[in-house]
Amino acid sequence: MNESVSLIFDSVLQMLGGIGMTFQLMFVSGILGLLLAIILLLMRISGKWYLNWPAQAYIYVFRGTPILVQIFIIYYGLPQFEFIRDSIFWPILREGYGCAIVGLILNSGAYVSEILRGGVIGVNPGLGEAGSALGLSARQRFIHITAPIAARLALPAYSNEIISLMKSTALASTITVMDMTGIARTIVAETYAPYEIFISLAIIYMILTFFIQKSFGRIENFLGRYTKQLEI
Amino acid sequence: MEALNGWWDDYFWGSVVVFKIFITSLILMVIFGLIGAMAKLSNNRIAQKLAAAYTVIFRGTPEILVILLLYFGSAITLTAIAQIFNPDIKFLDIPPFWAGTFAISVIVGSYATETFRGAFLGVDPGSVEAARALGLSNFKTFIYVRIPEMWRIALPPFGNHMLSLIKDTALISIIGLNETLYVAKQATSVTSKPFTMYIVVGCIYLAFSTAITLTVMGLEKYANHHLEDA
Repeated sequence: MNESVSLIFDSVLQMLGGIGMTFQLMFVSGILGLLLAIILLLMRISGKWYLNWPAQAYIYVFRGTPILVQIFIIYYGLPQFEFIRDSIFWPILREGYGCAIVGLILNSGAYVSEILRGGVIGVNPGLGEAGSALGLSARQRFIHITAPIAARLALPAYSNEIISLMKSTALASTITVMDMTGIARTIVAETYAPYEIFISLAIIYMILTFFIQKSFGRIENFLGRYTKQLEI
Repeated sequence: MEALNGWWDDYFWGSVVVFKIFITSLILMVIFGLIGAMAKLSNNRIAQKLAAAYTVIFRGTPEILVILLLYFGSAITLTAIAQIFNPDIKFLDIPPFWAGTFAISVIVGSYATETFRGAFLGVDPGSVEAARALGLSNFKTFIYVRIPEMWRIALPPFGNHMLSLIKDTALISIIGLNETLYVAKQATSVTSKPFTMYIVVGCIYLAFSTAITLTVMGLEKYANHHLEDA
């Protein structure tokens, strides 16, 4: 019993060494994925078919295939082509870390863009009409009326998406990235104690999930502070 | 494309494995989801707590971790038990098919728990009262009134759960199941055309998810067809 306690203690310390990597994967791909999602959203609501169709096709493909397959295509697949090995992106795509981030960005961009679109659809059309009656241009209406309300409406779904992004970072361990899961798998291969190590790691991930949920709950309360008063 | 010659049948059998996992885990997922939802809605405090713990645990842990834990954990336990009877046994495991199928259905079942719970709450109480008034037993009310009505509400999110299931099957290749991703890995080592091989896997999954999406659309139409005439 004592042995497994000290094993858990040692391995938790080792695994926490990878938490920086997990956070990096999560933040970089979260922020760039959000940017990609906004671009896709603008393409979809632009009303121009040559922008709308490619965005829809992109979202369909990236939501219809497993993220593990996407990561494998990027990591194992792309080096098949000479021109990719010669391009300026090669330093990124050569490393498992770069490929994991690119895969997570491309994947979460597709999901988040659908979430944002849900928010935009949820905005009361009367508000936009009021804006145009006041003489605001389409662009002004989007920035000052639609976007702030849509962001608030999309937030609960967005927080779920960030949690699943955090869980997806564990897949980076399949392409040699030493995040928390990667370290855990190495320890299990050495010690052959899957219960102790994987369960402690699961608890670490659950704590992270809990904190993400709490922080988004706070942001939701903050953004919803005007709507609260209406309910009374 | 000629690199693919000779691999099509491997991909086909890989897809059959994916389909088998999907069907098996779909059934298990519905069972876990229904049990979880009933526990959450019951008046039993312990059942409520257990169901709450179930959803928190499996919604907060990466899928790959659950698969690894179930597979390697069960292998070590089975080996230990087998060694009591026969010390010569070095390694014994649950087949990756079953370990993986069980893992993904437990995970997606935790999401389905919430969906089913919401859908049961959405059943019109008047329908249940009407069933009572007609003298239907609790069990009959459940089968003939609650289930048909909740399933209409649960269908759209349930379609998303099916899509998660089909996509999670890809993760089972990590514990060595010979499905499409595993075929691609083998084919790559022979032909050194990784992009072609993995793109085929992507297309197979895209076909699966398209089929599921279309099926769910058809089911939604079927479930709501009596409402359209009104």
